[in-house]
Amino acid sequence: MIATARIGLIGVCLALGLFFTLVSATGVIRLPDVFSRAHTASQADTLGAGFALAAVALTLGWDAATVKTVLLLVFIFVTNPTAAHAIARAAYEEGVEPWTTGDERR
Amino acid sequence: MSTDRDDTDGVARQRPMYTESQVIMTTVKTVIPFVLTYGLFITFHGTGSPGGGFQGGALIASVVLMIAFAFGIESTRQSLANRLVVGLGTVGVLIFAGIALVPMALGGNFLEYTKYYPVLGSALGLKKYEFVKYGMEAVEIGGIAFIVAGVLMGLFFILAAGVTPPAADESAGAAPLDEVTATEDQEDD
Repeated sequence: MIATARIGLIGVCLALGLFFTLVSATGVIRLPDVFSRAHTASQADTLGAGFALAAVALTLGWDAATVKTVLLLVFIFVTNPTAAHAIARAAYEEGVEPWTTGDERR
Repeated sequence: MSTDRDDTDGVARQRPMYTESQVIMTTVKTVIPFVLTYGLFITFHGTGSPGGGFQGGALIASVVLMIAFAFGIESTRQSLANRLVVGLGTVGVLIFAGIALVPMALGGNFLEYTKYYPVLGSALGLKKYEFVKYGMEAVEIGGIAFIVAGVLMGLFFILAAGVTPPAADESAGAAPLDEVTATEDQEDD
């Protein structure tokens, strides 16, 4: 019973992780400018990697490797949004204008 | 950093002076000890488990890259002497070559670690087959990690210094090139 629930949970986590990573990849290709791309790359990708790593941690169970996985999760949650912040900030410093409705993609 | 620049519609706009981002500085300060520890961990565990000198050296170099991104590339370059960066790579090459060539002097092949056994075996108290492991470890820690860390830092600083753009390239359009400064003090020390 517990094992079945665990496998189901792993499947759900993997599916959600794949979904968010797919959304993130689609956004990076489809969105119009650097700010929106940085935003989708940080938010959706952090969630996707988070769910995938949660699935890995559930698969491993109580193990030394699980601690490493959780640490990885924590660092991804800390660093990924910071990286997006740095990219958006650098773009703003360079004078990139945010995309508004009606502009063409760049 | 430039404070005013011509926009696409020709209007000169005032931008505030660049200030370092509080978010990036705090994150970098928090993360750096862990990244450095992880880099050393990866370096020292190269033979028995995934990892190695290349990956560990890249992580150690990324610490310097993060400091440069957060606290300014120029100040990082000034505090980190050019001689140190180049010296890291050179020392790595020398250690690698030394460890690899001594077995040839002892009558063996290039990187034949077991040739060290008659010379150092009793002094270090190691068995013959253990010299393969520790020899590889020594090459990875003393050689490859140093080389990779030094070369990556050097490449980053060269890239950050940028190239002076070719003149009369007005058709470049959206990509502003006026931020490319700081090529003049590339040769410090």
